[in-house]
Amino acid sequence: MTEWEYHPAPDLDETLAEHLRNFPRQPYMLLFAIRSLAALLLRAWMRVYHRLSVDGRENLPSTGSFILVCNHTSHLDTLCMLCSVPLRQIHRVFPAAAADYFFSSLPRSAVSAILINALPFDRQVKGAESLTVCSELLRNDGNVLIIFPEGTRTTSGEMGRFRSGIGRLVAGTDLPVVPCHLAGGVRAWPKGKFLPRPRKLSLRIGAPRRYGNLDKSSDGVREVCADLHDAVSRLGSNSS
Amino acid sequence: MTLDAALQNDIVLTYLLIIATALGVAGLALAILTALGKNVGPIWRTYRGWLVMVPIVLAAVLLGRTAFIIGVALLAILGFKEYARATGLYEDWWMTGLVYLGIVLLATASHVQDPRLGHDGWYGLFMALPAYVIGAILLVPIFRNESKGQLQRIALAIVGFMYFGWMFSHLGFLANAQYAYGYILYLLFAVEINDVAAFTCGKICGKHKLRENISPKKTLEGAIGALVISLGLAWALSFSFPHFAWWEVLLAGLIVGIGGQLGDLVISYIKRDIGIKDMGALIKGHGGILDRVDSMIFVAPIFFHVVRWLHGLREVPVS
Repeated sequence: MTEWEYHPAPDLDETLAEHLRNFPRQPYMLLFAIRSLAALLLRAWMRVYHRLSVDGRENLPSTGSFILVCNHTSHLDTLCMLCSVPLRQIHRVFPAAAADYFFSSLPRSAVSAILINALPFDRQVKGAESLTVCSELLRNDGNVLIIFPEGTRTTSGEMGRFRSGIGRLVAGTDLPVVPCHLAGGVRAWPKGKFLPRPRKLSLRIGAPRRYGNLDKSSDGVREVCADLHDAVSRLGSNSS
Repeated sequence: MTLDAALQNDIVLTYLLIIATALGVAGLALAILTALGKNVGPIWRTYRGWLVMVPIVLAAVLLGRTAFIIGVALLAILGFKEYARATGLYEDWWMTGLVYLGIVLLATASHVQDPRLGHDGWYGLFMALPAYVIGAILLVPIFRNESKGQLQRIALAIVGFMYFGWMFSHLGFLANAQYAYGYILYLLFAVEINDVAAFTCGKICGKHKLRENISPKKTLEGAIGALVISLGLAWALSFSFPHFAWWEVLLAGLIVGIGGQLGDLVISYIKRDIGIKDMGALIKGHGGILDRVDSMIFVAPIFFHVVRWLHGLREVPVS
């Protein structure tokens, strides 16, 4: 008799903390089941507690990978974005989350990795490495990356400047970038408050944009950032 | 089993005292060894692992029957998950899904009332479930219309369900026994002491290999030492089962002393065949969940059926 061949999971020797923090993650059934249940509950909560409305779902590309960019007003932004994509796609949606905050402790890592499916983004030391991880993720068909190009939540309600990461990621590529604008986030969950308030949230999704005509020079990167900033702002001004 | 009943139960209170003392003495001994300059770093890690695990396990026992059955089911699910990750079965969602479902059904059978007899725990369903779950697993290739490599997947799934699911879930079903606290706390404590005893005796006087092709570090002296200590421990903890005759106490010690080491060896040859050292790294200083509960998997069903055969789970007169 020939011996059986076993193919142990590549993350078998990882501790729980490493398991949660390392990316990409293995497709475990239990993980998917918990996340699907969490996504269902999240949708119900956003619909009832925040009366979330989503306009422009038809702008989401139905095939291929794409990026969602949005203004960053509160922690609710990510949750609203997750609610905007079809439930069957939820395990292929990866919000880029600041590794120094969302993966700083075991409980936060567990919520970020298991429930949110966040991609740990190092915004301090290994930003370029994190962008490479994002590029590789988007090379596979059907993945969705959520990015908040401001890099941090606004405290004033005004949208900040877009950092260069999004430009470096998409300039010279044919990846669709979908601009989104969320209104109501600052009032619903201001920075520094422990719990969200029952305020209305409105998410508008714009038409996808592509930047294959631009190169990855600093001018090209700046142009991408300016164009996306403008697109998100216009969605915001149209909704108000 | 309820929280109030647990806190008024002499057996529970005695075990709490014993466990707290054991942890305190072990911590003190490690602190002294550290102060003497001995290298006990890895043992400290293992000890810290105990400090996390013991309160969780005790909480599950103290909170009552439901919490304990759920706790055992969660351990079985996480244990099977480790096994599925180690063997590669995790990629087959149908097989793993059926095993998870089977474990949930085992927990349900352990918890619900027997519809004919009216008492907690549906023993007939618990015993019949393997037939249904194995039947369902065998049907998967037919539904998928696939044959290549299916026998390996089916075999892995059936072993996973029977060993990590069904055999281990006997521990949860014990929560329905009249002497649940005594049985469960004895098994939890004695099995772990048996593990520690095998390790310690092997370290101190181990010369002859027990099964060198399966686990090269285990020794015959360690196994005998653990068996002797388990027999002594059963006698010392005989207050856990006041209705047992002297030879039944001895039998309880034998089950733990032999079954515990057999369970350890089973996981060892599974790991060796796969070519891995630990089943996971979830518990610092201990490895995976299966590395911690391996001995219990063999002990729980043997103890359960011996006790049920000798006394029944409920018919014991209160002494």
